[in-house]
Amino acid sequence: MKFKDYYETLGVKRDATQDQIKSVYRKLARKFHPDVSKEADAEARFKEMGEAYKVLKDPESRASYDQLGTNWQNGQDFQPPPNADAGFEFSGRGGNTGFGDNSDFGDYFEQMFGQKTDFKQGRRRNVHAQGEDHHAKVQIDLEDAYRGAERNISLRMPVVDDNGHVITKDRTLSVNIPKGIRAGQTLRLSGQGGPGVGGGQAGDLYLEIVFRPHPRYRVDGRDVYVDLPLAPWEAALGASLTVPIPEGSVELTIPANSVDGRKLRLKGKGIPGKEAGDLYVVLTIVLPPADTEAEKEAYRKLQAAIPFNPRAV
Amino acid sequence: MSKTVINYLECQVVEENIHLTLFELCQASHASEETITSLVLEGVLEPTGQQAQDWQFTGASLRRAKLAKHLTEDMEINAPGIALALDLLERIDMLQAELVRMSRH
Repeated sequence: MKFKDYYETLGVKRDATQDQIKSVYRKLARKFHPDVSKEADAEARFKEMGEAYKVLKDPESRASYDQLGTNWQNGQDFQPPPNADAGFEFSGRGGNTGFGDNSDFGDYFEQMFGQKTDFKQGRRRNVHAQGEDHHAKVQIDLEDAYRGAERNISLRMPVVDDNGHVITKDRTLSVNIPKGIRAGQTLRLSGQGGPGVGGGQAGDLYLEIVFRPHPRYRVDGRDVYVDLPLAPWEAALGASLTVPIPEGSVELTIPANSVDGRKLRLKGKGIPGKEAGDLYVVLTIVLPPADTEAEKEAYRKLQAAIPFNPRAV
Repeated sequence: MSKTVINYLECQVVEENIHLTLFELCQASHASEETITSLVLEGVLEPTGQQAQDWQFTGASLRRAKLAKHLTEDMEINAPGIALALDLLERIDMLQAELVRMSRH
């Protein structure tokens, strides 16, 4: 296993006070909390920080971590000394700062000190309990929302094995993605969550929908935006063009004298549904280069023919 | 050749077709009844029904409850703080949507 330097993860000195550790963690948590942060690797960073903080915030677990010594480098191969937890009394208070619902002490700390993870800690209401509801985020294509789609979705789920260790289990679910689904919405799959206890019902699985970034389309709720590049003469004189849209293509009439940024609304061509969204075609005017002499000459003729000063109000 | 038949699971769109009771919302968001109740008092969640046992939450409440639960536990924010954070996050979402509408590539 690799050594993890929890002090380095949080960026605190080894002799930091408990209060210093707490305030540094709070500050980092505000920055990297996955529900708040826009940083790309927020979720991974937050998990690392949560694991480090969970160990360091508790004086007992911090002391047992500290006695490993200071000679280890982050990421270095590491064998925990036998009986690393000898002489430490764990009060079992354990905090609950964990991100998500399945994290307790990190695997690493758990392996070292043999703390066992119990997912259901504090949540088991009685012996005949309904299974836990699980949550996952899934990426689909925008086109799936237009047509509805049958998709196989792979999920990785941490589970506790017979020895109390956390292992990752893969499973694939075949799911009917309903037509009209939007990013940020959630699908509920009844009975696909955690198994029930003592004959209780299985929990449900909730899938939060995210659209895979699309090279052409931008999505805002039900509405979809697409840029349509035009040559200056198409924008000035008007044109009839075939424009690809998520549902195929449309014949579009560009009105004469269209300005850059003009939006043409195709009503009801956004994400379908009871209240279907709209598709906005955003006109962008692209200038042809003036590299060759012939091209330069054409621009000069245009300049002579049209007295035009874009800075004149 | 044998043909493999895959049964595709049917699912419901939480935000559109579903109402949740207090118990169901707690179960789905992993938040305690106390947390949910404090969010109702704060106006973060607005169920129909007078008494807690009659409360019916819209599906959209699940997202708010989950977020509130994470912020409560990860950052030890109290209910008024959560209410403020949720309002600000929603404003950021609106502004970002506005950026999508305005942005050009």
